[in-house]
Amino acid sequence: MTDMTVKAFNDFLRECKIMGSRCKGCGEVHLPPRPVCTECGSRDLEWVEVNGEGVLRAYTVISVPLTRLKDRIPYAVGVVRLDDGPSISGMVLGVTSGEKIAVGSRMRAEFVKEKERTTLCFRPA
Amino acid sequence: MKLSRGVAVVGAGMTQFHHRIHADKASRELFVDAAFEAVDSVDNGVELDDIEALFVGNFSSDLFERQTHTAALMADWLGLNPKPSTRVEDACASSGVAVNMGVLAVASGAYDVVMVGGVEKMRNLSTEETTDTLAMAADGAYEVGAGFTFPGLYAALASAHFARYGSTWEQLAAITVKNHHNGALNPKAHFQSEIMETASKMGERQGLAFRDELEFLRSPLNPVVAYPLRLFDCCPVSDGAAAVILAAEDVARRFTDTPVHVRGIGQASDAMALHDRAELTALRATKLASSQAYKMAGVEAADIDVADVHDCFTIAEVLATEDLGFFPKGEGGKAAAEGRTALDGDRPVNPDGGLKAKGHPVGATGAAMAYEMFKQLRGEAGRHQVDGATTGLVQNVGASGATVVVQVYGR
Repeated sequence: MTDMTVKAFNDFLRECKIMGSRCKGCGEVHLPPRPVCTECGSRDLEWVEVNGEGVLRAYTVISVPLTRLKDRIPYAVGVVRLDDGPSISGMVLGVTSGEKIAVGSRMRAEFVKEKERTTLCFRPA
Repeated sequence: MKLSRGVAVVGAGMTQFHHRIHADKASRELFVDAAFEAVDSVDNGVELDDIEALFVGNFSSDLFERQTHTAALMADWLGLNPKPSTRVEDACASSGVAVNMGVLAVASGAYDVVMVGGVEKMRNLSTEETTDTLAMAADGAYEVGAGFTFPGLYAALASAHFARYGSTWEQLAAITVKNHHNGALNPKAHFQSEIMETASKMGERQGLAFRDELEFLRSPLNPVVAYPLRLFDCCPVSDGAAAVILAAEDVARRFTDTPVHVRGIGQASDAMALHDRAELTALRATKLASSQAYKMAGVEAADIDVADVHDCFTIAEVLATEDLGFFPKGEGGKAAAEGRTALDGDRPVNPDGGLKAKGHPVGATGAAMAYEMFKQLRGEAGRHQVDGATTGLVQNVGASGATVVVQVYGR
Protein backbone atom coordinates (compact mmCIF):
# COMPACT_ATOMS: atom_id res chain seq x y z
CA MET A 1 0.00 0.00 0.00
CA THR A 2 1.50 3.29 -1.09
CA ASP A 3 1.93 6.23 1.24
CA MET A 4 2.97 8.45 -1.69
CA THR A 5 -0.30 10.37 -1.51
CA VAL A 6 -1.48 13.88 -2.32
CA LYS A 7 -2.31 14.24 1.36
CA ALA A 8 1.20 13.25 2.46
CA PHE A 9 2.74 15.75 -0.01
CA ASN A 10 0.50 18.51 1.36
CA ASP A 11 1.24 17.52 4.97
CA PHE A 12 4.99 17.83 4.29
CA LEU A 13 4.43 21.33 2.86
CA ARG A 14 3.18 22.35 6.33
CA GLU A 15 6.64 21.44 7.60
CA CYS A 16 8.11 23.55 4.75
CA LYS A 17 9.41 20.43 3.03
CA ILE A 18 9.07 19.57 -0.67
CA MET A 19 8.95 15.80 -0.68
CA GLY A 20 9.03 13.64 -3.81
CA SER A 21 9.39 9.95 -4.40
CA ARG A 22 12.62 8.39 -5.63
CA CYS A 23 12.53 5.12 -7.51
CA LYS A 24 14.71 2.52 -5.85
CA GLY A 25 14.99 0.77 -9.19
CA CYS A 26 16.22 3.48 -11.56
CA GLY A 27 16.78 6.47 -9.26
CA GLU A 28 14.25 8.75 -11.01
CA VAL A 29 12.84 11.42 -8.70
CA HIS A 30 9.13 12.12 -9.06
CA LEU A 31 7.55 15.34 -7.90
CA PRO A 32 4.76 15.38 -6.91
CA PRO A 33 5.30 11.92 -5.44
CA ARG A 34 3.84 8.94 -7.30
CA PRO A 35 3.16 5.34 -6.34
CA VAL A 36 4.55 3.95 -9.62
CA CYS A 37 7.75 4.98 -11.39
CA THR A 38 6.82 6.23 -14.86
CA GLU A 39 10.38 5.64 -16.07
CA CYS A 40 10.83 1.96 -15.21
CA GLY A 41 7.49 0.76 -13.84
CA SER A 42 8.85 -0.06 -10.38
CA ARG A 43 6.49 0.21 -7.41
CA ASP A 44 9.37 0.40 -4.98
CA LEU A 45 9.85 4.09 -4.20
CA GLU A 46 11.11 6.05 -1.20
CA TRP A 47 10.56 9.58 0.06
CA VAL A 48 13.18 12.14 -0.87
CA GLU A 49 13.37 15.84 -0.01
CA VAL A 50 13.80 18.13 -3.00
CA ASN A 51 15.53 21.51 -2.92
CA GLY A 52 13.22 24.44 -3.68
CA GLU A 53 15.42 26.37 -6.12
CA GLY A 54 15.03 26.16 -9.83
CA VAL A 55 14.22 27.80 -13.12
CA LEU A 56 10.93 28.84 -14.75
CA ARG A 57 9.97 26.57 -17.70
CA ALA A 58 6.62 28.14 -18.56
CA TYR A 59 4.28 30.67 -16.97
CA THR A 60 1.28 32.92 -17.29
CA VAL A 61 -0.30 35.85 -15.51
CA ILE A 62 -3.98 35.19 -14.93
CA SER A 63 -6.65 37.87 -15.18
CA VAL A 64 -9.73 35.63 -15.41
CA PRO A 65 -9.39 33.57 -12.23
CA LEU A 66 -10.78 30.55 -10.50
CA THR A 67 -13.56 31.53 -8.06
CA ARG A 68 -11.26 30.70 -5.15
CA LEU A 69 -8.66 33.21 -6.36
CA LYS A 70 -10.89 36.05 -7.56
CA ASP A 71 -9.46 38.48 -5.01
CA ARG A 72 -5.89 37.75 -6.13
CA ILE A 73 -5.86 38.87 -9.79
CA PRO A 74 -3.68 39.46 -11.60
CA TYR A 75 -1.49 36.62 -10.32
CA ALA A 76 1.32 34.63 -11.93
CA VAL A 77 1.57 30.86 -11.97
CA GLY A 78 4.22 28.75 -13.63
CA VAL A 79 6.02 25.46 -14.07
CA VAL A 80 9.40 25.41 -12.31
CA ARG A 81 12.15 22.89 -12.99
CA LEU A 82 13.94 22.41 -9.69
CA ASP A 83 17.71 22.08 -9.71
CA ASP A 84 17.28 18.55 -8.30
CA GLY A 85 15.60 17.48 -11.56
CA PRO A 86 11.81 17.32 -11.35
CA SER A 87 9.32 20.09 -12.16
CA ILE A 88 6.29 21.35 -10.26
CA SER A 89 3.59 23.99 -10.68
CA GLY A 90 3.23 26.91 -8.34
CA MET A 91 2.07 30.49 -8.01
CA VAL A 92 4.83 33.03 -8.62
CA LEU A 93 4.54 35.61 -5.86
CA GLY A 94 5.12 39.31 -6.33
CA VAL A 95 4.54 39.22 -10.09
CA THR A 96 1.52 40.91 -11.64
CA SER A 97 2.78 41.51 -15.17
CA GLY A 98 3.93 39.04 -17.79
CA GLU A 99 6.94 41.18 -18.67
CA LYS A 100 8.42 41.04 -15.15
CA ILE A 101 9.61 37.45 -15.49
CA ALA A 102 10.63 35.22 -18.39
CA VAL A 103 11.10 31.58 -19.20
CA GLY A 104 14.51 30.88 -17.70
CA SER A 105 14.06 33.17 -14.65
CA ARG A 106 15.50 31.78 -11.40
CA MET A 107 12.89 30.87 -8.78
CA ARG A 108 12.95 30.03 -5.07
CA ALA A 109 10.22 28.10 -3.23
CA GLU A 110 8.07 29.77 -0.61
CA PHE A 111 5.59 28.04 1.65
CA VAL A 112 2.38 30.02 2.03
CA LYS A 113 0.13 29.14 4.94
CA GLU A 114 -3.57 29.47 4.13
CA LYS A 115 -6.57 28.63 6.30
CA GLU A 116 -6.71 24.88 5.71
CA ARG A 117 -3.41 24.09 4.05
CA THR A 118 0.05 25.25 3.09
CA THR A 119 0.69 25.82 -0.62
CA LEU A 120 3.95 25.64 -2.51
CA CYS A 121 4.66 28.95 -4.23
CA PHE A 122 7.72 30.52 -5.81
CA ARG A 123 9.30 33.95 -5.87
CA PRO A 124 11.82 35.27 -8.40
CA ALA A 125 15.26 34.67 -6.84
CA MET B 1 -3.27 -1.21 -34.88
CA LYS B 2 -5.43 -2.46 -37.73
CA LEU B 3 -9.21 -2.55 -38.19
CA SER B 4 -10.55 -5.97 -39.04
CA ARG B 5 -13.45 -4.41 -40.93
CA GLY B 6 -13.76 -1.07 -42.74
CA VAL B 7 -16.00 1.66 -41.35
CA ALA B 8 -17.55 4.70 -43.07
CA VAL B 9 -19.52 7.79 -42.13
CA VAL B 10 -22.90 7.73 -43.90
CA GLY B 11 -24.63 10.67 -42.24
CA ALA B 12 -23.85 13.72 -40.10
CA GLY B 13 -25.69 16.53 -38.37
CA MET B 14 -25.04 19.34 -35.95
CA THR B 15 -26.80 22.25 -34.34
CA GLN B 16 -25.37 25.68 -34.77
CA PHE B 17 -22.96 26.32 -31.90
CA HIS B 18 -23.95 29.44 -29.99
CA HIS B 19 -24.01 31.23 -26.65
CA ARG B 20 -27.58 32.51 -26.81
CA ILE B 21 -29.87 30.90 -29.36
CA HIS B 22 -30.10 27.63 -27.39
CA ALA B 23 -30.92 29.36 -24.10
CA ASP B 24 -34.30 27.58 -23.87
CA LYS B 25 -32.92 24.15 -24.72
CA ALA B 26 -31.34 21.45 -22.57
CA SER B 27 -28.76 18.91 -23.73
CA ARG B 28 -31.42 16.36 -24.62
CA GLU B 29 -33.13 18.70 -27.07
CA LEU B 30 -29.86 19.86 -28.62
CA PHE B 31 -28.83 16.25 -29.10
CA VAL B 32 -32.16 15.27 -30.66
CA ASP B 33 -31.80 18.16 -33.14
CA ALA B 34 -28.28 17.11 -34.17
CA ALA B 35 -29.08 13.39 -34.24
CA PHE B 36 -32.13 13.76 -36.47
CA GLU B 37 -30.24 16.08 -38.80
CA ALA B 38 -27.74 13.22 -39.12
CA VAL B 39 -30.55 10.71 -39.75
CA ASP B 40 -32.15 12.98 -42.35
CA SER B 41 -28.78 13.52 -44.07
CA VAL B 42 -28.47 9.87 -45.07
CA ASP B 43 -28.90 9.82 -48.87
CA ASN B 44 -30.90 6.60 -49.16
CA GLY B 45 -32.49 6.94 -45.73
CA VAL B 46 -31.84 5.19 -42.44
CA GLU B 47 -34.38 3.98 -39.92
CA LEU B 48 -33.80 4.64 -36.25
CA ASP B 49 -34.18 0.90 -35.88
CA ASP B 50 -31.06 0.39 -38.05
CA ILE B 51 -28.95 2.10 -35.37
CA GLU B 52 -27.71 -0.59 -33.04
CA ALA B 53 -25.83 1.42 -30.42
CA LEU B 54 -25.19 5.00 -29.33
CA PHE B 55 -21.95 6.57 -28.07
CA VAL B 56 -22.20 10.07 -26.58
CA GLY B 57 -19.30 12.37 -25.74
CA ASN B 58 -20.06 14.73 -22.89
CA PHE B 59 -17.67 16.53 -20.57
CA SER B 60 -19.73 17.72 -17.66
CA SER B 61 -23.49 17.81 -17.87
CA ASP B 62 -22.89 16.91 -14.20
CA LEU B 63 -21.96 20.46 -13.29
CA PHE B 64 -23.41 22.39 -16.23
CA GLU B 65 -26.89 20.91 -15.87
CA ARG B 66 -26.82 18.80 -12.71
CA GLN B 67 -27.50 15.79 -14.90
CA THR B 68 -25.48 12.61 -15.26
CA HIS B 69 -26.28 9.32 -17.01
CA THR B 70 -26.21 11.45 -20.14
CA ALA B 71 -26.05 8.75 -22.82
CA ALA B 72 -29.09 6.89 -21.53
CA LEU B 73 -31.03 10.14 -21.44
CA MET B 74 -30.07 10.91 -25.06
CA ALA B 75 -31.05 7.40 -26.20
CA ASP B 76 -34.35 7.73 -24.37
CA TRP B 77 -35.16 11.11 -25.90
CA LEU B 78 -34.17 9.92 -29.39
CA GLY B 79 -36.55 6.98 -29.12
CA LEU B 80 -33.60 4.60 -29.39
CA ASN B 81 -34.44 2.35 -26.43
CA PRO B 82 -33.57 -0.44 -25.74
CA LYS B 83 -30.35 -0.03 -27.79
CA PRO B 84 -27.23 0.25 -25.63
CA SER B 85 -25.95 3.76 -24.98
CA THR B 86 -22.56 4.70 -23.56
CA ARG B 87 -21.19 8.02 -22.37
CA VAL B 88 -17.55 8.86 -23.06
CA GLU B 89 -15.80 11.53 -20.97
CA ASP B 90 -12.29 12.55 -21.95
CA ALA B 91 -12.57 16.28 -21.33
CA CYS B 92 -12.58 18.25 -24.60
CA ALA B 93 -11.78 15.06 -26.54
CA SER B 94 -14.92 13.28 -25.32
CA SER B 95 -16.70 12.89 -28.63
CA GLY B 96 -13.51 12.48 -30.65
CA VAL B 97 -12.80 9.46 -28.48
CA ALA B 98 -16.46 8.42 -28.81
CA VAL B 99 -15.97 8.37 -32.61
CA ASN B 100 -13.02 6.01 -32.19
CA MET B 101 -15.11 3.84 -29.82
CA GLY B 102 -17.89 3.73 -32.41
CA VAL B 103 -15.42 2.84 -35.17
CA LEU B 104 -13.96 0.04 -33.05
CA ALA B 105 -17.43 -1.24 -32.15
CA VAL B 106 -18.37 -1.54 -35.82
CA ALA B 107 -14.95 -2.83 -36.87
CA SER B 108 -15.26 -5.57 -34.24
CA GLY B 109 -18.30 -6.94 -36.01
CA ALA B 110 -20.55 -6.42 -32.98
CA TYR B 111 -22.63 -3.82 -34.84
CA ASP B 112 -23.18 -2.80 -38.46
CA VAL B 113 -24.51 0.70 -37.76
CA VAL B 114 -23.98 2.99 -34.76
CA MET B 115 -24.57 6.62 -33.93
CA VAL B 116 -21.80 8.68 -32.31
CA GLY B 117 -22.42 12.15 -31.04
CA GLY B 118 -21.54 14.74 -28.49
CA VAL B 119 -23.34 17.44 -26.59
CA GLU B 120 -22.62 20.22 -24.11
CA LYS B 121 -24.92 22.83 -22.66
CA MET B 122 -22.48 25.24 -21.03
CA ARG B 123 -24.18 28.58 -20.75
CA ASN B 124 -26.06 27.94 -17.52
CA LEU B 125 -23.12 28.96 -15.33
CA SER B 126 -21.38 32.25 -14.59
CA THR B 127 -17.92 32.94 -16.08
CA GLU B 128 -16.23 32.03 -12.80
CA GLU B 129 -18.21 28.81 -12.38
CA THR B 130 -17.42 27.91 -16.00
CA THR B 131 -13.71 28.59 -15.37
CA ASP B 132 -13.83 26.30 -12.32
CA THR B 133 -15.65 23.57 -14.26
CA LEU B 134 -13.27 23.62 -17.24
CA ALA B 135 -10.29 23.58 -14.87
CA MET B 136 -11.53 20.20 -13.60
CA ALA B 137 -10.01 18.70 -16.77
CA ALA B 138 -6.52 19.59 -15.49
CA ASP B 139 -4.73 18.00 -12.51
CA GLY B 140 -6.92 19.20 -9.66
CA ALA B 141 -4.46 18.58 -6.86
CA TYR B 142 -1.31 19.95 -8.44
CA GLU B 143 -2.21 22.34 -11.28
CA VAL B 144 -5.56 23.84 -10.30
CA GLY B 145 -4.35 23.69 -6.69
CA ALA B 146 -1.40 25.85 -7.74
CA GLY B 147 -3.73 28.40 -9.35
CA PHE B 148 -3.77 27.35 -13.00
CA THR B 149 -6.93 27.96 -14.97
CA PHE B 150 -7.53 26.12 -18.23
CA PRO B 151 -6.59 29.12 -20.42
CA GLY B 152 -3.61 29.52 -18.07
CA LEU B 153 -2.22 26.10 -19.06
CA TYR B 154 -2.26 26.98 -22.77
CA ALA B 155 -0.83 30.40 -21.97
CA ALA B 156 2.06 28.62 -20.24
CA LEU B 157 2.56 26.40 -23.30
CA ALA B 158 2.63 29.60 -25.39
CA SER B 159 5.30 31.12 -23.13
CA ALA B 160 7.50 28.05 -23.61
CA HIS B 161 6.95 28.04 -27.39
CA PHE B 162 7.67 31.76 -27.68
CA ALA B 163 10.86 31.38 -25.64
CA ARG B 164 12.20 28.38 -27.54
CA TYR B 165 11.23 29.25 -31.11
CA GLY B 166 10.77 33.00 -31.11
CA SER B 167 7.14 32.66 -32.15
CA THR B 168 5.00 35.69 -31.36
CA TRP B 169 1.57 36.78 -30.22
CA GLU B 170 1.17 38.53 -33.61
CA GLN B 171 1.37 35.10 -35.24
CA LEU B 172 -1.41 33.91 -32.91
CA ALA B 173 -3.45 36.95 -33.92
CA ALA B 174 -3.18 35.80 -37.55
CA ILE B 175 -4.90 32.56 -36.51
CA THR B 176 -7.67 34.53 -34.80
CA VAL B 177 -8.24 36.57 -37.98
CA LYS B 178 -8.13 33.49 -40.24
CA ASN B 179 -10.53 31.42 -38.12
CA HIS B 180 -13.03 34.27 -37.79
CA HIS B 181 -12.86 34.71 -41.57
CA ASN B 182 -13.70 31.02 -42.02
CA GLY B 183 -16.42 31.17 -39.37
CA ALA B 184 -18.05 34.00 -41.31
CA LEU B 185 -18.53 31.51 -44.16
CA ASN B 186 -20.05 28.79 -41.95
CA PRO B 187 -23.77 28.98 -41.07
CA LYS B 188 -23.19 26.58 -38.13
CA ALA B 189 -20.52 28.77 -36.52
CA HIS B 190 -20.90 30.55 -33.19
CA PHE B 191 -19.20 33.69 -34.57
CA GLN B 192 -20.02 34.50 -38.18
CA SER B 193 -18.23 37.79 -38.56
CA GLU B 194 -14.80 38.88 -39.70
CA ILE B 195 -12.60 40.38 -36.98
CA MET B 196 -12.84 43.84 -38.58
CA GLU B 197 -16.63 43.60 -38.52
CA THR B 198 -16.47 42.70 -34.82
CA ALA B 199 -13.96 45.50 -34.25
CA SER B 200 -16.28 48.08 -35.84
CA LYS B 201 -19.28 46.88 -33.85
CA MET B 202 -17.47 46.75 -30.51
CA GLY B 203 -15.60 49.99 -31.28
CA GLU B 204 -18.77 51.88 -32.17
CA ARG B 205 -20.24 51.25 -28.72
CA GLN B 206 -17.09 52.73 -27.13
CA GLY B 207 -16.61 55.54 -29.66
CA LEU B 208 -13.44 53.88 -30.99
CA ALA B 209 -12.32 53.15 -34.54
CA PHE B 210 -9.59 50.74 -35.58
CA ARG B 211 -7.33 50.91 -38.64
CA ASP B 212 -6.74 47.18 -38.83
CA GLU B 213 -7.18 43.86 -37.03
CA LEU B 214 -3.98 44.13 -34.99
CA GLU B 215 -4.87 47.54 -33.64
CA PHE B 216 -8.18 46.14 -32.41
CA LEU B 217 -6.66 42.93 -31.05
CA ARG B 218 -4.04 44.94 -29.11
CA SER B 219 -6.68 47.26 -27.66
CA PRO B 220 -8.40 47.10 -24.25
CA LEU B 221 -11.44 45.71 -26.10
CA ASN B 222 -9.44 42.48 -26.32
CA PRO B 223 -8.36 42.10 -22.69
CA VAL B 224 -5.74 39.65 -21.44
CA VAL B 225 -7.29 36.46 -20.05
CA ALA B 226 -4.04 34.67 -19.22
CA TYR B 227 -0.85 36.39 -20.43
CA PRO B 228 0.05 36.27 -23.30
CA LEU B 229 -3.41 35.06 -24.38
CA ARG B 230 -6.19 37.59 -24.82
CA LEU B 231 -9.94 37.11 -25.13
CA PHE B 232 -9.80 36.60 -28.92
CA ASP B 233 -7.12 33.94 -28.52
CA CYS B 234 -9.70 31.83 -26.67
CA CYS B 235 -12.59 29.82 -28.06
CA PRO B 236 -16.00 30.94 -26.83
CA VAL B 237 -18.21 29.08 -24.37
CA SER B 238 -20.92 27.54 -26.53
CA ASP B 239 -23.98 25.32 -26.41
CA GLY B 240 -24.38 22.70 -29.11
CA ALA B 241 -24.51 19.11 -30.27
CA ALA B 242 -23.27 17.04 -33.21
CA ALA B 243 -23.79 13.47 -34.38
CA VAL B 244 -22.58 11.12 -37.10
CA ILE B 245 -23.81 7.74 -38.28
CA LEU B 246 -21.14 5.09 -38.80
CA ALA B 247 -21.69 1.97 -40.88
CA ALA B 248 -19.57 -1.03 -41.77
CA GLU B 249 -18.13 -0.74 -45.29
CA ASP B 250 -19.99 -3.86 -46.35
CA VAL B 251 -23.38 -2.26 -45.58
CA ALA B 252 -22.55 1.42 -46.14
CA ARG B 253 -23.67 1.42 -49.79
CA ARG B 254 -27.20 0.61 -48.63
CA PHE B 255 -27.27 4.09 -47.13
CA THR B 256 -25.31 6.21 -49.59
CA ASP B 257 -23.28 6.09 -52.80
CA THR B 258 -20.78 8.57 -51.33
CA PRO B 259 -19.75 7.37 -47.88
CA VAL B 260 -16.77 9.04 -46.20
CA HIS B 261 -14.33 6.32 -45.22
CA VAL B 262 -12.55 6.15 -41.89
CA ARG B 263 -9.02 5.45 -43.17
CA GLY B 264 -7.16 5.60 -39.90
CA ILE B 265 -7.63 6.27 -36.20
CA GLY B 266 -5.24 6.94 -33.36
CA GLN B 267 -5.33 7.86 -29.70
CA ALA B 268 -2.69 8.52 -27.06
CA SER B 269 -2.42 9.69 -23.46
CA ASP B 270 0.22 11.85 -21.81
CA ALA B 271 1.01 13.12 -18.33
CA MET B 272 -2.00 14.99 -16.98
CA ALA B 273 0.08 17.86 -15.56
CA LEU B 274 2.33 20.04 -17.69
CA HIS B 275 5.06 19.82 -15.04
CA ASP B 276 5.28 16.05 -15.56
CA ARG B 277 6.08 16.40 -19.27
CA ALA B 278 9.61 16.47 -20.66
CA GLU B 279 8.57 18.88 -23.41
CA LEU B 280 6.29 21.94 -23.14
CA THR B 281 6.54 23.11 -26.74
CA ALA B 282 4.67 20.15 -28.26
CA LEU B 283 1.87 17.77 -27.40
CA ARG B 284 3.46 14.34 -27.47
CA ALA B 285 0.06 12.65 -27.61
CA THR B 286 -0.69 14.46 -30.89
CA LYS B 287 2.49 13.10 -32.43
CA LEU B 288 1.71 9.56 -31.26
CA ALA B 289 -2.01 9.55 -32.13
CA SER B 290 -1.39 11.01 -35.58
CA SER B 291 1.44 8.63 -36.42
CA GLN B 292 -0.92 5.72 -35.57
CA ALA B 293 -3.65 7.18 -37.76
CA TYR B 294 -1.30 7.99 -40.66
CA LYS B 295 0.13 4.47 -40.54
CA MET B 296 -3.30 2.81 -40.52
CA ALA B 297 -4.44 5.04 -43.38
CA GLY B 298 -1.21 4.57 -45.33
CA VAL B 299 -0.78 8.32 -45.73
CA GLU B 300 1.65 11.01 -44.62
CA ALA B 301 1.05 14.50 -43.29
CA ALA B 302 1.68 15.86 -46.80
CA ASP B 303 -1.33 13.89 -48.12
CA ILE B 304 -3.85 15.69 -45.89
CA ASP B 305 -5.94 18.11 -47.99
CA VAL B 306 -7.99 19.55 -45.14
CA ALA B 307 -7.73 19.38 -41.34
CA ASP B 308 -9.87 20.27 -38.38
CA VAL B 309 -7.55 20.72 -35.39
CA HIS B 310 -8.25 21.52 -31.76
CA ASP B 311 -7.69 25.29 -31.50
CA CYS B 312 -9.28 25.82 -28.09
CA PHE B 313 -6.66 28.60 -27.92
CA THR B 314 -4.74 30.03 -30.87
CA ILE B 315 -1.45 28.57 -29.58
CA ALA B 316 -3.06 25.11 -29.74
CA GLU B 317 -3.43 25.47 -33.52
CA VAL B 318 0.29 26.28 -33.75
CA LEU B 319 1.18 23.19 -31.70
CA ALA B 320 -1.24 21.00 -33.71
CA THR B 321 0.03 22.00 -37.14
CA GLU B 322 3.60 21.28 -36.01
CA ASP B 323 2.93 18.06 -34.09
CA LEU B 324 0.79 16.67 -36.93
CA GLY B 325 3.77 17.21 -39.24
CA PHE B 326 2.19 19.90 -41.42
CA PHE B 327 5.08 22.27 -40.68
CA PRO B 328 8.55 21.89 -39.13
CA LYS B 329 8.68 22.32 -35.34
CA GLY B 330 8.66 25.97 -34.37
CA GLU B 331 7.27 27.18 -37.69
CA GLY B 332 3.51 26.74 -37.15
CA GLY B 333 2.98 30.36 -36.15
CA LYS B 334 5.03 31.66 -39.06
CA ALA B 335 3.13 29.43 -41.51
CA ALA B 336 -0.20 30.77 -40.22
CA ALA B 337 0.99 34.36 -40.51
CA GLU B 338 2.04 33.65 -44.11
CA GLY B 339 -1.51 32.48 -44.92
CA ARG B 340 -0.53 28.89 -45.57
CA THR B 341 -3.37 27.53 -43.37
CA ALA B 342 -6.05 29.77 -44.93
CA LEU B 343 -8.88 28.31 -47.01
CA ASP B 344 -6.88 29.04 -50.15
CA GLY B 345 -3.50 28.23 -48.60
CA ASP B 346 -1.48 25.10 -49.33
CA ARG B 347 -2.45 23.52 -45.94
CA PRO B 348 -6.02 24.61 -45.09
CA VAL B 349 -6.69 24.23 -41.36
CA ASN B 350 -10.03 24.72 -39.64
CA PRO B 351 -12.03 25.77 -42.69
CA ASP B 352 -15.16 25.74 -40.50
CA GLY B 353 -13.72 28.45 -38.23
CA GLY B 354 -12.24 26.01 -35.72
CA LEU B 355 -13.13 26.01 -32.05
CA LYS B 356 -12.12 29.69 -32.12
CA ALA B 357 -15.02 30.85 -34.31
CA LYS B 358 -17.22 27.79 -34.78
CA GLY B 359 -17.44 27.44 -31.01
CA HIS B 360 -16.57 24.73 -28.52
CA PRO B 361 -19.40 23.03 -26.67
CA VAL B 362 -16.75 20.81 -25.13
CA GLY B 363 -18.29 17.35 -25.47
CA ALA B 364 -19.68 18.04 -28.96
CA THR B 365 -16.45 19.17 -30.59
CA GLY B 366 -14.97 15.85 -31.77
CA ALA B 367 -18.26 14.82 -33.36
CA ALA B 368 -18.57 18.25 -34.99
CA MET B 369 -15.10 17.75 -36.50
CA ALA B 370 -16.28 14.42 -37.98
CA TYR B 371 -19.36 16.26 -39.30
CA GLU B 372 -17.08 18.80 -40.99
CA MET B 373 -15.00 16.10 -42.69
CA PHE B 374 -18.20 14.38 -43.90
CA LYS B 375 -19.21 17.65 -45.55
CA GLN B 376 -15.75 18.60 -46.85
CA LEU B 377 -14.93 15.23 -48.42
CA ARG B 378 -18.33 15.04 -50.12
CA GLY B 379 -17.86 18.56 -51.47
CA GLU B 380 -20.86 19.83 -49.49
CA ALA B 381 -19.19 22.38 -47.21
CA GLY B 382 -20.61 25.35 -49.11
CA ARG B 383 -18.77 28.65 -48.85
CA HIS B 384 -15.96 27.21 -46.73
CA GLN B 385 -15.35 24.21 -49.00
CA VAL B 386 -11.71 23.31 -49.59
CA ASP B 387 -11.66 22.66 -53.33
CA GLY B 388 -11.11 19.07 -54.32
CA ALA B 389 -10.37 17.75 -50.80
CA THR B 390 -10.24 13.95 -50.79
CA THR B 391 -8.27 13.24 -47.60
CA GLY B 392 -9.08 14.92 -44.29
CA LEU B 393 -7.80 14.80 -40.74
CA VAL B 394 -9.35 15.50 -37.35
CA GLN B 395 -7.32 16.19 -34.20
CA ASN B 396 -9.29 16.48 -30.94
CA VAL B 397 -7.44 17.26 -27.70
CA GLY B 398 -8.49 16.58 -24.12
CA ALA B 399 -7.59 19.48 -21.83
CA SER B 400 -3.89 20.39 -22.16
CA GLY B 401 -3.03 17.26 -24.13
CA ALA B 402 -3.33 14.33 -21.72
CA THR B 403 -5.71 12.84 -24.31
CA VAL B 404 -5.38 13.27 -28.06
CA VAL B 405 -7.46 11.47 -30.66
CA VAL B 406 -6.95 11.61 -34.42
CA GLN B 407 -8.93 10.34 -37.38
CA VAL B 408 -7.99 10.30 -41.05
CA TYR B 409 -10.94 10.29 -43.43
CA GLY B 410 -11.01 9.67 -47.15
CA ARG B 411 -13.49 9.86 -50.01
